[in-house]
Amino acid sequence: MDSECVSILPRVCEVLAASGSSLPDDTSLEKLLDWLTTITQTGVSLLEACPCLLDFLSNVALNAAPGPGILSFTLKLAGLIGASEDGFKALEECSVLELVFAPHHWQESGLWEDPSLRIGWIQGLKAILQHSKALSFFVQADLLEPLLQLQTDSSLFVASAANQTLAHVLLLCQSLSSVGRDGTNKRDVEHNGVGVETNQNCSGVVSKVSEYLNESLVPRETSRLPRSQQILKLLTQLLVQVRPPLRETLLLTVLDSLEELATKSCSQLTLPLVDVLLAANSSLGDTDRIPKQRIGQLLSLVLDTKKPADVVQAAAALMRSHQTDPDHSAHAARVLLLPLDIVTGVSLVDKDSTDEELRILMTEQLQSKTCVSMICMCLTNMPQITVMAPDRLPCPQSLVVRAVLSLLRLCRGDCSSSSAGCVGVFRYVTGSSKVQKCAMEALSALSKSPEVKIGLAEVFKLLTEYLNCPLSEPSVLQKSYKVLINWIDVCTDLSCISDQLREDLTQAVRKRACDTRWEARDSTVEFLGHLAEVRSCRKSGGEEREPSNALLGGRAFAVPLLKEALQDPESYVRASSIAALAQTLTPSWQQGAPVTQEQVEIVTRLQEILSQDSEGFARRAVVKYFIAWFSSCSSPTSCPLLVQHVPAVLSQGAADLDWEVKLHTLQLAELLLDQAFPDPAPPHPYAVTPEGLIHGEDEESALLGSLNGVVDRGVVSALFCGLVDCDRPVALKACQLLLRLRAAVCPPTASAADTGVSCKLPGRSWAQEIRKIQGTNTDSEGGSAVGSEARGEAVEESSVGVREALRSLDLDGKLSILTQSSDHVYNSPLSLLQDILTASTPHSHLTSEPGQEVIVDCY
Amino acid sequence: MKLYCLSGHPTLPCNVLKFKSTTIMLDCGLDTTSVLNFLPLPLVHSPRLSKLPGWISKDGTVNLEKELKECAGRVFVDSQPEFCLPERELLDLSTIDVILISNYHCMMALPYITEHTGFTGTVYATEPTLQIGRLLMEELVNFMERVPKAQSATCWKNKEIQRMLPGPLKDAVDVWTWKRCYSMQEVNSALSKVQLVGYSQKVELFGAVQVSPLSSGYSLGSSNWIIQSHHEKVSYVSGSSLLTTHPQPMDQSSLKNSDVLILTGLTQMPTANPDGMLGEFCSNLAMTIRAGGNVLVPCYSSGVIYDLLECLYQFIDNANLGTTPFYFISPVANSSLEFSQIFAEWLCHNKQTKVYLPEPPFPHAELIQTNKLKHYPSIHGDFSSEFRQPCVVFTGHPSLRFGDVVHFMELWGKSGLNTVIFTEPDFSYLDALAPYQPLAMKCVYCPIDTRLNFHQVSKFLKEVQPLHVVCPEQYTQPPLTQSHRSDLMLELQPPPMPYRRCAVLNLPFRRCYERVYILPELANSLVPSEVKPGITVATVSAVLHSKDNKHTLQSVPKPPPAAPSKKRKRVIEEPPATLAPKPLLSGAVPLEAFLATLQKHGITEVKVEETGEGHILHLQAEDTLIQLEEDGTHIVCDNNEPLRTTLRDLVLRFLQKL
Repeated sequence: MDSECVSILPRVCEVLAASGSSLPDDTSLEKLLDWLTTITQTGVSLLEACPCLLDFLSNVALNAAPGPGILSFTLKLAGLIGASEDGFKALEECSVLELVFAPHHWQESGLWEDPSLRIGWIQGLKAILQHSKALSFFVQADLLEPLLQLQTDSSLFVASAANQTLAHVLLLCQSLSSVGRDGTNKRDVEHNGVGVETNQNCSGVVSKVSEYLNESLVPRETSRLPRSQQILKLLTQLLVQVRPPLRETLLLTVLDSLEELATKSCSQLTLPLVDVLLAANSSLGDTDRIPKQRIGQLLSLVLDTKKPADVVQAAAALMRSHQTDPDHSAHAARVLLLPLDIVTGVSLVDKDSTDEELRILMTEQLQSKTCVSMICMCLTNMPQITVMAPDRLPCPQSLVVRAVLSLLRLCRGDCSSSSAGCVGVFRYVTGSSKVQKCAMEALSALSKSPEVKIGLAEVFKLLTEYLNCPLSEPSVLQKSYKVLINWIDVCTDLSCISDQLREDLTQAVRKRACDTRWEARDSTVEFLGHLAEVRSCRKSGGEEREPSNALLGGRAFAVPLLKEALQDPESYVRASSIAALAQTLTPSWQQGAPVTQEQVEIVTRLQEILSQDSEGFARRAVVKYFIAWFSSCSSPTSCPLLVQHVPAVLSQGAADLDWEVKLHTLQLAELLLDQAFPDPAPPHPYAVTPEGLIHGEDEESALLGSLNGVVDRGVVSALFCGLVDCDRPVALKACQLLLRLRAAVCPPTASAADTGVSCKLPGRSWAQEIRKIQGTNTDSEGGSAVGSEARGEAVEESSVGVREALRSLDLDGKLSILTQSSDHVYNSPLSLLQDILTASTPHSHLTSEPGQEVIVDCY
Repeated sequence: MKLYCLSGHPTLPCNVLKFKSTTIMLDCGLDTTSVLNFLPLPLVHSPRLSKLPGWISKDGTVNLEKELKECAGRVFVDSQPEFCLPERELLDLSTIDVILISNYHCMMALPYITEHTGFTGTVYATEPTLQIGRLLMEELVNFMERVPKAQSATCWKNKEIQRMLPGPLKDAVDVWTWKRCYSMQEVNSALSKVQLVGYSQKVELFGAVQVSPLSSGYSLGSSNWIIQSHHEKVSYVSGSSLLTTHPQPMDQSSLKNSDVLILTGLTQMPTANPDGMLGEFCSNLAMTIRAGGNVLVPCYSSGVIYDLLECLYQFIDNANLGTTPFYFISPVANSSLEFSQIFAEWLCHNKQTKVYLPEPPFPHAELIQTNKLKHYPSIHGDFSSEFRQPCVVFTGHPSLRFGDVVHFMELWGKSGLNTVIFTEPDFSYLDALAPYQPLAMKCVYCPIDTRLNFHQVSKFLKEVQPLHVVCPEQYTQPPLTQSHRSDLMLELQPPPMPYRRCAVLNLPFRRCYERVYILPELANSLVPSEVKPGITVATVSAVLHSKDNKHTLQSVPKPPPAAPSKKRKRVIEEPPATLAPKPLLSGAVPLEAFLATLQKHGITEVKVEETGEGHILHLQAEDTLIQLEEDGTHIVCDNNEPLRTTLRDLVLRFLQKL
């Protein structure tokens, strides 16, 4: 721990204890606590390091004058100290403990009303409850009662913290009693007396808590509903965490109440109840005293509720829980598919297997406005349904696909496959983009299902209709494209797509590329890019054509559209089109195909965007385009167009105003470095390498050649420029890359005076900066600036020896500064403590010199 | 109150309302869909059209080679196109007092109604309605007269022959009533009968009713009408829009509390959202131009075109269409573009404020200035020298049967690069294209109809709460092709009254009150007496004088001194003129108090019997009955006149006299 901090801390404590004074900001107490917590975590005893804290505690506890914020802090601090047995003992000895944690102490002073104090009390208590002594204190001081009362506190935060603490208490009981029983813990065996007492305490606490849970579980009146909800949540939490003996005890106590709740079927409690049952179900083993079937029966009971909205919710919760009880998931799937069945008339659920009454009720419910949320709920659970075993589903998945397609048609106002159920629902579903989006997501998920045999053609036709429809919202269009990509991705045979369908899709895509809404144009451009990428996944197919070729005429179709989109007035679209162009052209780059005139035009346009575009997105995309080009190119050096443009991209990108553009530029530089120095890893430190090998003449000249190449392409200038950048991530990246370069080209043994490759420094500000750093470093080292020009004339363009510069720039020092976060000074504990101190000072002078604070504030 | 329905077309209505002795025609729309049965009128000789084969029935019995031509499996009449007029036999058109016009699309039949029918009334319309309506009529006449056709086909109309014809011709109704287009002279004469009105201006009709136009938000100067008397209010809602386009927004609040609301002119495209269609229009246009094709937009020369141009104004730069020329070709193109700029007071607030800057309210002025939009009266003349492709052409008529559009269809129809984009909802685009088949040109249907849709109208009706709604029968059931869509119809309580062509409806409300004026001297002579708190009654004796639907009560003139009569006997028989009328009685007889009074007068043996209407008092000693009922009191007392009089006076004590 910082000695300076230790020396200030007593004064800080004084200030805190004495003042009702406000603090610089209300998070400073939290920060202080965090700092103290980190200290304890390092194994240092807080009381030994800062004995003043104990005084502070007793001082504050006795004199309840400071605000509730500081009292809350005090309580938490007490918890922190009492967490260790020694600290606990110290607190006990100076009788702070009883005082601080006695609720009536705070109730008497009226401070208990403040939720922040209650939170402090709860969290302090939770922190302290780490050992058997604390538990005995907890029992003797009878703190369980107030803790139980806080479970349903009016403040949600308090209630939730109290929940967690109660769970913590039970877990502590569990671990302590198991220790006692197993006798593994030496100390407890030695002090057997303590063990017995602890066990008594534990069982007392457990029985009281179970009793409380059981009593408050079933709401006797509607006003108690929130309380029941809270208790159910608590129960879920407990069941997930506790282990067998305790878990059984808990479950046995509440089982009857749970059953009562399940039969009662209260809408607000359905979800939390299902959560409890699922938690119980998953935690129970076969050997438990409570048969798993009992819980299963309760789950079935909930799934048989006659309230459609509730039962759908319960089924959805069960589906989401990924529990593998096959009967229940089959039941849930039936429930979730029922609304789709009714609405679309596709018979997904066997009429005999479902409860006729539920079907009637659900049909009725679907005629009302709530049908939208219910249908969406069913659709969002489709991913779970697709992964279910086929024999557990009430129908083949191809039927589900058909139903979803039929629903999507309904949404468009097309009701050719009308059923009895759909008449009323039509009004709400038609044109509802919410349902459309959910159904699209579902359709997307269904594409992954292995046994979907329905022809791609039908899906394709519907999606094309959606893409063509003038009323489709941009978000729906985007989803349609996504679904299309997903289906194409899994499809093995594109021959089912008729020419007419293909033509329709082409028209639709072409039209959407001219849409008045930029979102639609953006999705279209993105789609073209993604479609070009589908190819790579299907490469194994052999002689089959790429989907983008088979469907849309491939590059010949996409590239002109994308080129047009480079002129788009919306920067997002420009950026997307650049990315899509890269995706579309990647295959030809990989194959090393000759550069076409089209590509030349594109590159020229991209250069324009990089140098002129006012929006960062587009410029970032340009640099990424070159990264993609460079990294996918089989041999970048043999592509003259690429080689020709990289230096310009590097110099423009490095000088950009947007830090992301600069960072991407450095990534491009990194690729060039990788290529020039293929094995940047430093030699094994203990490897014995003959000197001649490292510094062989050939080796050296090759190295120089590479370095020359790197300098010529502007990599080194870009790195230097990045190093002095004011954006930390940029400077950091540049520094790391320069270090790598240094490792590659400056062997530690080489003399400083070697002839070198030099790099031009333009008359720009960053170059001056570099010279300045270099100058100060060489000055401080007492050396002379070898190879570099005299500093005085640095205004004009000059050059600098790369190796010398790399050595003289103190890159390691720079790296260590850059790796620290930029606010590390302000976030240091010392700064925090000083802040608290200074915040208290102006207040003492406030009355005498009212103007002073204002002046201070101005600066 | 009666409504005569002369047109079955829901958006081109023509109804006559008889209300309080006035006969008011509401709109006179002209159903032009009949022209789809005719061959197009080409401006330039078209070898294709002239070579079409004539039609002969399969068995060869009917030969109408000269009149009917066959094209792509359909038969068209080769004659000057004819229109389906509003019904003229249902009532005598000369009895019509006034015609109220709601918008310029709904007045195209005006010359047929006002000319050669004996019509002597007045037509009321707003200024933009009149001016733009005149332009549309002028354009129509011009289109027809430019391409005169000597021949007039009539044989096919023969009932016997028509039955044997194929396709839509067979099912065309009332073909004998179809008429050729009117002449410019008739247009001028008809329009001379128009009297201009402004929004909310009140016009008295014969003192009986007051009519007043309200902004309907659909087009420049478009209006809904209120027709009201002192105690009744009828609203006529036709072609209204709640969207924010160029016209003044719709005035809804003034339509509240109507007894009857006649609802016509809802959107013809309930499933096509205008915004979506506008977007579709733009993207198809851009797509075609980029691919090097031309775009043809068949449209009316006023209305939606202003919005299209405004939309394109914003879109042109976005889509890199800056260099593409836009042509607007119509005999009235110039006037239409100019007129739209001068009707500032009829525009929406946004556009009105521009006028004060001063800037032209519509951005098409700038398009013209920068030479992006050029307008020409016809394809002949200047246009042919300026014409540059690829381009976008706006021209009429949307039916594709006459006007300059026919030329472009013939010119561009053969190339798949070109696109025709339909934006007017009045014609089925497939029917419009029928005589041009086979067609390589792409066709896009983006009907833009900003009129109220069913969702909006049900909200609107909830707001204004009319007692009864009358509407075309088409609105009371879902469209035939989408019979399951219950959301595409009016669902109201009580259900709306549907009408169809030739229907005569008795509107379901009875007039209960009439306003009568009373002269001051007569009023002075009245002696009011209060019968209940707040209600004062007086008897009046007066002479009712009715003139111009105004009713006045005047004092009874003093009878002239009786002329000395020769026969004395007769004078005696005449009741004296000055005899005061008996006072009127009001009030009720309270039973308890009445019994007490009877007792005071010595009548003690009273048996009271309660009946449904009141009480029967049996005076047993006197063998007399008194029936006290709510609206009458009877004393049944045989041969004891003094007792009767006493009893009567006792009853009268409890009643008030006027």
